[in-house]
Amino acid sequence: MAIGIVDLEQLVRSIPGTDCARTEDGRVIALPSTTEQVAAVMRSINDLGMTVEIAGAGTKRGWANPVRTDIVLNTRRLAGVVEHSWQDLTATVGAGTPWAVMQNELAQHSQFVALDPLWPQQARVGGIVAVNDSGALRSSYGSLRDLIIGMTIVLADGTIAKTGGKVVKNVAGYDLHKLMTGAFGTLGIITEVTFRLHPLPAHTRMWSAASRDPDVLAFLMMKVRESRMNVRAMQLRASMQACALDIELASLPEVVAPQIERLNVLARGCGGSCTVQEDLATDLFGARSHIFGHDVVVKLSVMPTAITAMVRDVLQLGGTAVVQSSGIMTIGFRESTAINALPYLQEYVERARGLMTVLQARERPHPEWAMLPPRMGTADLMRRVKQQFDPKATLNPGRLMGGI
Amino acid sequence: MLNAAILNELRAAVDGADGVQATRGLSGLISTESQLKTYECDGLTNFRVMPGAVVLPRTAEQVQAIVKICAKHKIPFVARGSGTGLSGGALPAEGGVVISFSRMNHILEIDIPNQRVIVEPGVINQHVTDAVSAYGYFYAPDPSSQSVCTIGGNVAENAGGAHCLKYGFTTTHVLGMDVVLPTGELVTLGSALPDAPGYDLTGVFVGSEGTLGVATRIILRIVERPETVQVLLAAFDSIAQAGQTVSDVIAAGMLPAAMEIMDRLSAHASEQAAHPNYPVCEALLLIELDGLPAEVSAQMASVNEFCKKNGAWEIRLAQTAEERGLIWKGRKAAFAAMGRISPNYIVQDGVIPRTALPEVLEKIGHMASEVNLRVANVFHAGDGNLHPMVLYDQAIPGQEEIALDLSYRILYLCVDHGGSITGEHGIGKEKQQAMGYMFTEPDLETMQRVRHAFDPENIANPDKVFPRTKLCGEKTGPYTPHPLEKAGVAEFF
Repeated sequence: MAIGIVDLEQLVRSIPGTDCARTEDGRVIALPSTTEQVAAVMRSINDLGMTVEIAGAGTKRGWANPVRTDIVLNTRRLAGVVEHSWQDLTATVGAGTPWAVMQNELAQHSQFVALDPLWPQQARVGGIVAVNDSGALRSSYGSLRDLIIGMTIVLADGTIAKTGGKVVKNVAGYDLHKLMTGAFGTLGIITEVTFRLHPLPAHTRMWSAASRDPDVLAFLMMKVRESRMNVRAMQLRASMQACALDIELASLPEVVAPQIERLNVLARGCGGSCTVQEDLATDLFGARSHIFGHDVVVKLSVMPTAITAMVRDVLQLGGTAVVQSSGIMTIGFRESTAINALPYLQEYVERARGLMTVLQARERPHPEWAMLPPRMGTADLMRRVKQQFDPKATLNPGRLMGGI
Repeated sequence: MLNAAILNELRAAVDGADGVQATRGLSGLISTESQLKTYECDGLTNFRVMPGAVVLPRTAEQVQAIVKICAKHKIPFVARGSGTGLSGGALPAEGGVVISFSRMNHILEIDIPNQRVIVEPGVINQHVTDAVSAYGYFYAPDPSSQSVCTIGGNVAENAGGAHCLKYGFTTTHVLGMDVVLPTGELVTLGSALPDAPGYDLTGVFVGSEGTLGVATRIILRIVERPETVQVLLAAFDSIAQAGQTVSDVIAAGMLPAAMEIMDRLSAHASEQAAHPNYPVCEALLLIELDGLPAEVSAQMASVNEFCKKNGAWEIRLAQTAEERGLIWKGRKAAFAAMGRISPNYIVQDGVIPRTALPEVLEKIGHMASEVNLRVANVFHAGDGNLHPMVLYDQAIPGQEEIALDLSYRILYLCVDHGGSITGEHGIGKEKQQAMGYMFTEPDLETMQRVRHAFDPENIANPDKVFPRTKLCGEKTGPYTPHPLEKAGVAEFF
């Protein structure tokens, strides 16, 4: 059913409390401030057979397939910490809350959501969950899906559903919040998220080893991974100019101090090729966001044992990488280099039986997003899930890989 | 329901068209009534339903063939591991097929450098740890039944255990799996690698209680064994004192491997059953810390101070691995031990926010007094998971109904305090009616969308998890001993 732009704006404005704005290309942006308003918008749009793009701060809109919809629903007014049960180490937060704002509020009780996503000042909770972002803290605290214990979602037809709860231990019903995490907004609109929290560490120390030889640092990374030290975060930064292994330790001062010395011994055992620095003040773990200054950004997942060889391959292809010990690599290329490098990289990844996705590039769509990796039958099942949740393909249609 | 032709199809699926396996006395099909009785219930023994057949496949292809037969004839099927579940999740569908995984019990791959193990679903939980302990690793989820329960069952129920406070539940440790969908398709969910693209179908499959399909190959994450483990036992005059100690430990920023509280009744029963030499007290607190020696020692000193501050009158630190083992043996025997102090009992599995513990326990006490019943309490105090055990005597007319009613009111009390009706036992058959108290119709309808995507014909473990109309005269809940248990050849966990 066709509807004019003016009608659409009136429709949004007719929902009490919902604001309206325009995108640069003139599309209507609905700005609801409650879950109920989101549901009202969705009921109207879905009934009209129109399509909706879900947006927050827009920091990761370039990830996955682009979508062109009739209307944009922005969740930024669903902001604020709804409840912080600090004695129970849980918090419920509106999806439009900027990540840093949430963390600042939780820090008043020396707690935090143990995740270090990209661009925390701008990026909002809903978007971070929708793309399943995570950083170097993942190896010690788990992935995002392990930190979410409940969620409120609005489906394409306006159904409001709660999943999980506000207690950490809970096996009642299906874990729909896991399904929503990383779904790129194709199954429902996340309006509230309940997190399990961790105490902020009372004492941390930074240690970093630089070397021109990435093999040495990758070897060191694996050694530390197996060492049972109190590693809170660890990453390998690798470029053709320089490489470094950054480690943050967290525990009691008397526990951390000998571990720093142990790291120094391990580094010295690498044949004198490492230059060690302790207690650096710089935010070294922001390095992943700097990768996005490149024209083309690729995310790889490989087994930890494949990291050394893959880092070597990436550098030979002219890439710059930030590597987590879990095997997740964020790699940047200049446009001119990427054209030649990506086919080789894809070959190397396939050889390592890894996974590769393009997060950022000037040319869209990418063949990597257009097809699912060769896992048995999964694409059909994902389409059936999408069909059940959003039969009219109203929400972010085609955004997920495989055009789901 | 299963006629001879269907039984022949099932036999061919598991024995081969030539029936070679059967001629060697190794048939994978059970259809005689006397043998089927073994499978008529799981750990929730008061529910008993006779299946039409039990099949014992050896390969994923055989599982796929079985499920295709079920799909073709619209026959309900239920997967079964060791049958230790406490909510009736493996209860057969009447006249349907039970797929038993006792023959798919192989560890397929151990990859120590990448900290992964690949198993078939019939592998016993403890055997995974046994296989990797020589390398300094362990498999973290440790339900009390870990010496007999299977990984497949753990995946279905999202099993926890005392140590999931620190290490997480089964879902944290399952990276991916091969699954036969109820349509007969064999699919791979997730990956051994982090962040497999697309929907997190592994995450939604774990804990779905067998309603979305059957796992045939599971990729597990293993964890490095900590260098040091210390277990402290402290005796208090009240649950409130023990609970405050737990809160103090959490507030100090510590994350113990486990924190358990037993009340007087449960500690007394465990003492009789396992002789762990527990002090006689109103509340017994067990705290396990693990990690590096210097860190554990410093934290244990703080725990000790918290215990003293809150009135602990006896504090014991286990000095040897044997002492630690004995303390835990008493705790893990708590359910089974109830049989020593009561003819019958109902085990519940509610969860509350940790801070609501004193208030909820006081209310449970009042509710029990009002109906003249005793409730023993064992709980994973760190994460608020209560296991109230309602004690009663079936021989007293009307008491079972009162006990049942009390057990459900306890679950509703948990929900009223912002908690859940199950922390680790699952919904299964037992608590499906209580789902409507915890979730709204739209919540449940949204879950059903997932089920329809996986199982459009509703043949995978049907009539479980979700509420349904209660049948006239239908009973739910109490524990009654299995004949094998009565005969003393099996134990209830």
